[in-house]
Amino acid sequence: MSERDERESGSRLPNPLRDPRVVIARRDVASLSREKTIVLALFIQLFVAAFSSFLVVGLTSLYDPGSVSAGEIVVGVSGEHADALVDAARQQDGVRAVGYNTTEAAREAYLEGQLHAALLTADTGGRITVDVLAPEENIRTTLIVTEVRDLLEAVERNERVARAQYLDRQTVPVPNPIDASPYFGFTYTVLVPLLLFLPPFISGSIAVDAFTEEVERGTMELLRVAPVTLVDIVDGKAMGMIAIAPLQAGLWIVLLGVNGISVANPLSLLVVVTAFATVVVVLGLLLGILAGKRRQAQLLYSVVVLFVFGTLVFLPEHPATTVAKLAVDSATTLTYAHVAGYAVAATLAYLLARVVARRTDPEGL
Amino acid sequence: MDEAEGRRSGGTDTEREGRTARALSWTAERVDNVPRIARWEMTKNAGGADRRTLVVALLAVVGIAVLIPLAASHGVALDQGIYRVGVSEESPLFGPAVADSTFSVQQPRPAAVRTGQQDVLVRGPQIRDYTDSQKGRAAASEFRATVEGYNDALMREEVAAGGNDSAAFPVVVNLTYVQQAETGSIAIGEPGEQTLDSSDGTATDDASDGGSGSGSSDGSSGGSSGGSDGASDSGSGDVDSTGDQARPSGGGTSITERLTGGSGDGTPSDISPPFPFRSLVLAFVFVLPLNFVIQAYGSTILSERLNRRGELLLVSPVSRLDIVVGKTLPYFAGAMAVATLITIVLRGSHVSVLAIAPLALLFLSATFLGAMFARSFKELTFVTVTITVSLTSYAFVPAIFTDVTPIALISPLTLVVRDLQGQAIGLGQFAFSTLPPTLTAAVLFGLGSGLYREEDMFTQRPIPRKVLDALAAPIKRKRSVALVTAVLLPFVLVAELVVVALLFALGEASIPFILIGVAVIEEVAKSLHVYAGYEHAKYDRKHRTAVVLGFLSGLGFFLAEKLALIAQLVDLPDLPAGRAALESQATLGLGLPLPVVVVGLLFAPLVLHVVTATISSVGASRGKLPYVGALVVAIVVHLVYNLAVVTLYV
Repeated sequence: MSERDERESGSRLPNPLRDPRVVIARRDVASLSREKTIVLALFIQLFVAAFSSFLVVGLTSLYDPGSVSAGEIVVGVSGEHADALVDAARQQDGVRAVGYNTTEAAREAYLEGQLHAALLTADTGGRITVDVLAPEENIRTTLIVTEVRDLLEAVERNERVARAQYLDRQTVPVPNPIDASPYFGFTYTVLVPLLLFLPPFISGSIAVDAFTEEVERGTMELLRVAPVTLVDIVDGKAMGMIAIAPLQAGLWIVLLGVNGISVANPLSLLVVVTAFATVVVVLGLLLGILAGKRRQAQLLYSVVVLFVFGTLVFLPEHPATTVAKLAVDSATTLTYAHVAGYAVAATLAYLLARVVARRTDPEGL
Repeated sequence: MDEAEGRRSGGTDTEREGRTARALSWTAERVDNVPRIARWEMTKNAGGADRRTLVVALLAVVGIAVLIPLAASHGVALDQGIYRVGVSEESPLFGPAVADSTFSVQQPRPAAVRTGQQDVLVRGPQIRDYTDSQKGRAAASEFRATVEGYNDALMREEVAAGGNDSAAFPVVVNLTYVQQAETGSIAIGEPGEQTLDSSDGTATDDASDGGSGSGSSDGSSGGSSGGSDGASDSGSGDVDSTGDQARPSGGGTSITERLTGGSGDGTPSDISPPFPFRSLVLAFVFVLPLNFVIQAYGSTILSERLNRRGELLLVSPVSRLDIVVGKTLPYFAGAMAVATLITIVLRGSHVSVLAIAPLALLFLSATFLGAMFARSFKELTFVTVTITVSLTSYAFVPAIFTDVTPIALISPLTLVVRDLQGQAIGLGQFAFSTLPPTLTAAVLFGLGSGLYREEDMFTQRPIPRKVLDALAAPIKRKRSVALVTAVLLPFVLVAELVVVALLFALGEASIPFILIGVAVIEEVAKSLHVYAGYEHAKYDRKHRTAVVLGFLSGLGFFLAEKLALIAQLVDLPDLPAGRAALESQATLGLGLPLPVVVVGLLFAPLVLHVVTATISSVGASRGKLPYVGALVVAIVVHLVYNLAVVTLYV
């Protein structure tokens, strides 16, 4: 990156816009906007974001009924420990416990559909055994089961405290419930990283196309007779494709902000995005140079990118975590060290691409 | 698909008596040509430099396969350190805070909470303060969950050290699903459950010991109860063991852990709602390879179009059908081979493989059409990603609701999930699930083949013109219009089902939107190719012709729409939304006298389709703007009719 900037400013005297690398970059980006594919690209990212949000919002509402107003769950309770359950239910919003004198009565009421669930308690060996009857194949089932689970967990907590004298280890007091958005963690650990990493990967994929298309169409020959070297071509292609990634990422950051999801440290985040874009674009171009054909290069690109991204698990901090910590404003020194590391890796990858391009015989393409 | 018709009318002489002989020789020709092209496609790919590609790709795939378990054991905590909690070592809450990597533990500094540098402040045994922001509240809420999990882990430790079981886990839960409002109904047993019931019946100290576990086996016994749920979910022992590995020993707050269960037994935190999470993940494994296949397939189709490379094949004495089938066959075979392999590994049955076939065809056909439309590799990349994303969600999202609603069957992936869960699948369900995508794939291939000609392949025509080209290609004479309308019906069905699936969450309120969506989809499907036919000067622009075309299009649609009766095979009409979509069938089974049913079921929809199709057809004969205007009128008429029907019968 930095090296290119220097070169660019060095060649500013004649006319930077006439620089062949800039011309190539502009041509590639212009073809994207002419084909309106950039619109498609943004649409895809929006779709992916919406899709993952839908999944998580849907799942969270299934598993965290408090997040949707779904009305009250009525459970029937019977047996010798019924009182414990009724007491616990009083502490819990969204559940009403109705006591029954006999197990049969509770079961009957459940079968007749008067109850959402029946909790039949019994005492076995000093334990409270609860037989839960819940309806299956029903969208409310998840809600019912989750509420029942919360209720029984409360009973468990109370009982542990009551039986503390029999325990060597004492349980830790559980803080009171706090009303918080159940999507907060997801937004910053999944959604934001997803939106920021998608543009680089797409850039890399287009870089493969931008290069192999010239080869397959035979226009690479034309570029070669023009006074540009293969290094210039690689430079130009890389420049255009790398540039569009932080632009899109910046757009997402702004859009998220508009939607009330404030993203902290935007500059560091854009550095990360640019660094990733550089690495994957270089990878794409190298594969393009080595394979020459789109089919092979594109296939290799998708598999290798998956592989490389997988190996990053072994970093002290996963890139997605780095992005999450930056975005949520919990960044540590380690986080910034990773950002710097990515920038260095990107520079090295870029230099490598230039070396390979310089050593490649354009006639062989 | 009506390629044969084209060839017959175009080339050879048509003698009545030689029909069977010609059919035979036609088949022989196909059998001769298709494998040759397929072989050529394969050798061109696998030869020489491509072997190197395959080796590298294979290495990377193997690498990924090795990485996944490694990464899983390494533990990927995306939320590592996103919240900062200030807690001193003396606090009883220090232990939980340190144990959960979500929190980065700091010295408590009240000032830092106010400036937002610390999210949660713990003083003594309670949360003293938290930042007044979304983040602060989320952190405090998460901290509570962490403490709960910590307590469970602590109690497991207590039991492991030989402590008092009944004090550590005082509550034992046994969750049974029982149908309601039916006298004498019996528990809908899952295999795992009966054993739990019986152990419960003999519940002595021993049995409950087994339930909560003892010694170091506690984690694994909790795991194995989860695992056996998983096994009954998916009917595969293989899954069981991975379930055990994947289950963290700490009392988890992770969502995945909660998702993996089916029903349950054990401590209260062990029970979880029914959700086929594991089967879904496994089903995803089926879809993933398709994306790689279409990458390569799209490239090969578009490559053919660059530099007029495909011209040689086009002028050779093989039909377009041969070329398309021949070029597709290797990729379809590859996709099915991978699907078969995955099925064997996951111990699914042949149903899984059969259910993946229409999906594979759908992916390939969409890519084929996309590659015929794409103007450059870059565009193809976006088209491929769009196909990947939209088809994956088409396959995936309904499958999430496998156990909840029969509408999930619009995705063949639901069949795979059910198969992996070991459930039986009826023939009707199978047909409902696989026929629409299969027919859609056939139509997409048909439309793509319409573009498989010199004018469209090697020139840069604008996309809307290509759409019309694709639609006009199969139109030879007036009655082709009816055929094309009928053939487009799978699209209409799929599009309508997607509309229903997207909107049905709204319940009754969704009905007007569904009706509008249905009217737009159906009217466009009935008229666009008529307009394309006019643009390609296939018809004269007389009024009479326009009316005849409209009548034919409406008739074709009406006849094909009766295919929608397949929808009756599942209980789709039980949903108000489904009923609205299938409004013309709503009259069925209402116990009305026969003439009324005949009029309601047959005559009224026929009139509707013919009238609206004629309106847009007359518009189409006048040019672009009149066509758009007439289309809007037709949509409005359709909408009014639908509203009338819905208010009458629903």
